[in-house]
Amino acid sequence: MNITFTILSTLAIVSALLAARLRNLVYAVLSLMIFFSALAALFIVLLAEFIGAVQILVYVGAVGILILFAIMLTHHIAGSTGERIDARGWFWAIPAAGAVLFGILLPAIIYTPLPLVPSSSTYEPSVLHLGQALMSPYAATLEIMALLLTAAMIGAVVIAMTLQPGDKEKHADQN
Amino acid sequence: MTPLSSYLVLAAIIFFIGLLGALTRRHAIIVLICIELMLNAANLNFIAFWRFNPHPEAMLGPIFVLFSIAVAGSEAAVGLALVISIYRFYRSVDVEKMNALQG
Amino acid sequence: MFPIPWLPFIPLCPLVASIVIFTMKPAWSRIAAGVAISAMAMSTVLAFAALSTTFTHPQVVATSFDWFSVGDQHFDFGFILNPLTGSTAAMVTFVGLLIFIYSAAYMEHDENKTCFFGYLSLFAFGMLGLVISNSLLLLFMCWEIVGLASYLLIGFWYQKPSAAAAAKKAFITTRIGDLGFLLGLFWVYRETGTFLFYHYGSGILEPGPLAALASSPGFWGFSAAGAISLLIFAGAMGKSGQFPLHVWLPDAMEGPTPVSALIHAATMVAAGVFLVARTYPLFALDGRVLAIVAWVGVGTALFAAIIAVAQFDIKRILAYSTISQLGLMMAGIGVGGPPIGMFHLLTHAFFKALLFLGAGSIIHGCHGEQDIRKMGGIARPMPVTTLAYLCGVLALCAFPFTSGYFSKDEILLSAWHSNPAIFWVAAIASLLTAFYMTRQCCYVFLGVYRNEEHRHPHESSWVMVGPLLILAIFALAGGAVAHMNGILEYLGDKEPLVVNSTVVVIGWIISLGGISLGFLAYGLRPLTATGSDPFALTILGRAFYLDEIYAATFGRLVTVLSYLAEIVDAILLIVTELLVFIAREFSLLFAFKTDRVVIDRWFFDDICSNLRSLGGVVTRPQDGLLSNYLRSIALGSLLLAILFWCCHS
Repeated sequence: MNITFTILSTLAIVSALLAARLRNLVYAVLSLMIFFSALAALFIVLLAEFIGAVQILVYVGAVGILILFAIMLTHHIAGSTGERIDARGWFWAIPAAGAVLFGILLPAIIYTPLPLVPSSSTYEPSVLHLGQALMSPYAATLEIMALLLTAAMIGAVVIAMTLQPGDKEKHADQN
Repeated sequence: MTPLSSYLVLAAIIFFIGLLGALTRRHAIIVLICIELMLNAANLNFIAFWRFNPHPEAMLGPIFVLFSIAVAGSEAAVGLALVISIYRFYRSVDVEKMNALQG
Repeated sequence: MFPIPWLPFIPLCPLVASIVIFTMKPAWSRIAAGVAISAMAMSTVLAFAALSTTFTHPQVVATSFDWFSVGDQHFDFGFILNPLTGSTAAMVTFVGLLIFIYSAAYMEHDENKTCFFGYLSLFAFGMLGLVISNSLLLLFMCWEIVGLASYLLIGFWYQKPSAAAAAKKAFITTRIGDLGFLLGLFWVYRETGTFLFYHYGSGILEPGPLAALASSPGFWGFSAAGAISLLIFAGAMGKSGQFPLHVWLPDAMEGPTPVSALIHAATMVAAGVFLVARTYPLFALDGRVLAIVAWVGVGTALFAAIIAVAQFDIKRILAYSTISQLGLMMAGIGVGGPPIGMFHLLTHAFFKALLFLGAGSIIHGCHGEQDIRKMGGIARPMPVTTLAYLCGVLALCAFPFTSGYFSKDEILLSAWHSNPAIFWVAAIASLLTAFYMTRQCCYVFLGVYRNEEHRHPHESSWVMVGPLLILAIFALAGGAVAHMNGILEYLGDKEPLVVNSTVVVIGWIISLGGISLGFLAYGLRPLTATGSDPFALTILGRAFYLDEIYAATFGRLVTVLSYLAEIVDAILLIVTELLVFIAREFSLLFAFKTDRVVIDRWFFDDICSNLRSLGGVVTRPQDGLLSNYLRSIALGSLLLAILFWCCHS
């Protein structure tokens, strides 16, 4: 086992655990960001540098901050209020998730014949290939993604926006 | 070189953690965080498989992960907007209090 | 071969009149009398035309129609025209017309007079139909119509309980006779297969079937012909008031006087005699039957004459006189054949109608008084009525050269030649007839008016008196004219009997002697209202208590039978109540135990509530909790993966 992989995987698992189980919300989000970073490092190890960069940019930079904003807007840090953090019936979640892990994932990993070594160590992954792939076979997908992002943006704004009772008249006067 | 199965096991463990958190936690935003965990585990899986793929030039792994990241980002945005909107109504982000769809 | 196709119109004119009268608007009721009279006048004209036809064609002319058939059994009816029909039809229509005119005045102040003329026309239809019928069945139907009309007319003033009771009595008594008639009818049909009298050789009065009937066996030692004749005679006894079925005739005087005149003197009661005359060939086959007919007739004559001596109601005297004369008619047929009896029937119709109409005029003039003890001295205030009435009395008493004299003389002559015993009984009856009629005349016309209220009698109007005078002419002269023109040969007497001087002399003695005896007993001393009457014995006055005897025997029998019927009825009632109770219990069982419990509760309510609780159970996963939903998704995906795995491995 590679030492890099060991360190990074340990970091990812621990930070994931903390993100899932911490009571303090901000700590959980920060732990999540560390997780994103660990994963980005793993991507780079796997020779997908561009994806690693995108991971940092999008997840750590945008999604993490977004979650922080959402936490701030909901005013519910839940620091040490003493309430339980687990939902009702949390006990039954363990076997359910465990069943997924041990019933699907692990058997799939174990029983599928997997290649032991990377295909070629001479491959030089480059952004050129990525760009060519985006333009030729996956151009339509790119456009659809753009549409999706636009819709998500507009949708998020619409959902999160509220009009105060006085705004309707203001808007009506302005229009 | 670490074998593919290590990466897959790691991704499985992260997925398990995310699933456990999503099924367990009361806070809506924590649930969204756990969903991000699961999505990232899946991304890791893709990249791992791409790396051990005999034809890495096809760029299937990264392309997919790219779009996955895009979708996950937009989903996080819309989901958090929903949480904010629900918070305004319920004055709480506790999913146990949001049971109006019962019956 | 039927020279006059309009023969059926003779009864149809009065039928149309009765239908018109019964269906006309009440506003037109004043012309009801006119309608009836004009219809009767038309029938009279037609009947006289038919009569004149029979002068030239004295043989029987009959036609028949197939009325309906049941399988291969035919029921025909038809019409017949022979001297018997022609003479009777002419008499019925003429006398009927005069009586209709009389009724127009007599019933003027009655509020129901429209109905009265309707019933009279209905009666005329029935009587004339009976006369012209060629079928025994049609004759029976008209017989019943006539009986119905008689019932309706006797009980015309139905508010009087005595009138209603009299009508019922008449109908029921004649019904008893009709039962015999009906049985005879069935028997004839069974033996010969037809009801027609004359039908190209196969009618029941034609030689072929008559021979068949004579040879078939009947009952009590009679042949079928004799038995049938006796049964038909039973019907005639009921209708013509022979003993013992005569009890209805005196009570029938409850009806209005024109009804008594028309129906119970001239025509309907004569229907029985007519029936016997019509079916005479059947009777003639057996001499014993004729003897029975003659004895019943002459016995009735004597019986009724004895009772009449003690009656005080002016109409009752005439009623018993009618019974007596009908008996003589029957006796005449029995000893001498149809011509003898029918001749007396025709003359009797005229003078008896005259007597009844005259009695009506007298009653009218005496302001409704009917008891002869309260009358007296009517002759001066009512001369025309008295004159007409006396003509009738003379004819009834067989005063020499009146019409009654000729007809009664023929009867006595035939009786003398066939059975002297019958002759003497008839002679005594005729003597008594003269006696009681004279008695009545003395009471009514002589002396002073004995009514306590001292209201003076007055003469009736000319509309009432006119018919009286016309009938008086016929009563006096009709018989002589008919006899001199050979009525007996016309009516079918092939060899009339030679006039026997002994019989003639005895006839004179009877008639004149009876009148003198009556005058001696009643005409010499002044009569008082409450004075004793030596001949009015109580037993005679109560008609030998026959009504009481009938009530005690048959009445009691009927009462006992009705009690038995009531018992049977009660048993049946109990049985049906039981059945109803059981059925009700069954239905209650089904309704409450089965329907309510099984169907309502089990099949409906329970299933509904079970479904609802099932729905409640099924809805429990839907608790709105996000974590539960997510857990379900995880497990669901696990299941899908397993499925996928199984399919692919």
